[in-house]
Amino acid sequence: MSELPVINEFGQGPITCHAFNKDRTELAVCFNTNVVHIFRKNGNSWDVQWTLVEHDKPVTSIDWAANSNRIVTCSQDRNAYVWTLDPQIQQWKPTLVLLRINRAATFVRWSPEEDKFAVASGARCISICYFEEDNDWWVGKHIKKPIRSTVLSLDWHPNNVLLAAGSADMKARVFSAFIKGVDKKPAPSPWGEKLPFGTLCGEFSNGTGGWIHSVGFSPDGDALAFTGHDSTLTVVYPGTGSIQSIRAPSLPYLSLLWLNSTQLVAGGHDCAPHLFEANGQQWAFAASLDQATKKVEVGQSARDTFRRMDSRGQSSGSNDTELATQHQNTINSIRAYEGTRDNVSKFSSSSIDGRLIIWSTANITKGIANLRI
Amino acid sequence: MSKPNFRKIDIDALEEDAFSLEELEQEIGETRPRHEVEALVGSRAQEVRSLLQRGNIGAALAKSLEDPPYGRDFDAAKERNTQTVMDVLNSTKSSDVPQLVKELNPVDQDVLMKYLYKGMASPEQYNSGVLLAWYEKLFEVAGQGCIVRVITDRRTV
Repeated sequence: MSELPVINEFGQGPITCHAFNKDRTELAVCFNTNVVHIFRKNGNSWDVQWTLVEHDKPVTSIDWAANSNRIVTCSQDRNAYVWTLDPQIQQWKPTLVLLRINRAATFVRWSPEEDKFAVASGARCISICYFEEDNDWWVGKHIKKPIRSTVLSLDWHPNNVLLAAGSADMKARVFSAFIKGVDKKPAPSPWGEKLPFGTLCGEFSNGTGGWIHSVGFSPDGDALAFTGHDSTLTVVYPGTGSIQSIRAPSLPYLSLLWLNSTQLVAGGHDCAPHLFEANGQQWAFAASLDQATKKVEVGQSARDTFRRMDSRGQSSGSNDTELATQHQNTINSIRAYEGTRDNVSKFSSSSIDGRLIIWSTANITKGIANLRI
Repeated sequence: MSKPNFRKIDIDALEEDAFSLEELEQEIGETRPRHEVEALVGSRAQEVRSLLQRGNIGAALAKSLEDPPYGRDFDAAKERNTQTVMDVLNSTKSSDVPQLVKELNPVDQDVLMKYLYKGMASPEQYNSGVLLAWYEKLFEVAGQGCIVRVITDRRTV
């Protein structure tokens, strides 16, 4: 029952980004406008509870800190706001963050400890923002070198210090975002031992060019996966120096998510989430998680068919532009919905078609296992 | 009001430190000197021809797609290499094409797609009918990803 994908249709236009709260009862969505809508779950439907209006250009990214219940949004207007819920009046209050960037902000994510966040931008830099108690203010420190173009995606390492960034200069990089006074010295990892702020711990390219749409650390943080506009998925293990690029037969992936240390999903212009699996450190495409069956028309009589052919010149009811997949347009964001970072049991995907779909992985793993036997 | 064609303004011109095409080419372009690349392309053409004469089309195809010349100042070498690839494509029976395409590794499949587009860009020089037949079979095996990679890749043949 719960194994079927759950489709949430909002019909308010393309979804550019989304984020759930901790217990998944509230959902922040942007429909390609300057407004963020927060919905509350009501049975099987979603009711608008709040609208966050403060940006004046389209919102590009939202992240919801689960434990501290704070929302951060960033926008093409070059600003980011941290929103906190005032418990007395039950309203979200914005606090402006000083990003000091001169181009659009493209992507934002809270660090795992939720004590800082990173904002990517078209100004060829990443702002690492943290709260300064003395001034009661969120301030940002820039990572600039050696980024040569717009940063499109970010992902935090579980140690709260390292940050991966995918950029339009065809490179995925790993930086140290160590902030004195906020972070404790991290344990040595394959990415390095001494990590002052801004250290470049790794720089990778997929070999064929194509800007990097999405980056993701493995659950233990010892591997990095990234997808590019050249329809490749690359997985890097700095410990062994192994770099593997998989040339996918499908259209480029815009977002990826590790389900566990040996499985990840990627979705994008193909409108379906694709599963990749590792055997040791060797990755390969496993399956599409969307069964992609054309909906069968029920109760269609010959008379209906002829009438339709007569009036619309079509032999079937569904028009030809309908895709066989659940999403009818590009998937632009895939996020964990249920489970822990090393064992995601459900994930959500949002798309330009205005749908948000929740997929169960229990179903998938069983399905694949059956295929093998 | 703002000009309607504001999107065509080259905003990078105002940026002192813009990401330039030259910079990108330094990274991905050919580093060997030109005469060396031309010599390499020439000897490869010989090898491919002798493989073709022996009727070993699979090996000839793989050889012709090996290490193609990239970069801006290699027009002669590129032209020569394109001719080599086209020779192989033209001397293949159409019934052999699906099998040959399947036997190529994914890297060579992408390179072959580049040459198919290159060939179709000059229909007066190369037989587009043959190229389209190859294109169809290659697409069946390598999919849309292959086409996207050819379009994105700055290393043109």
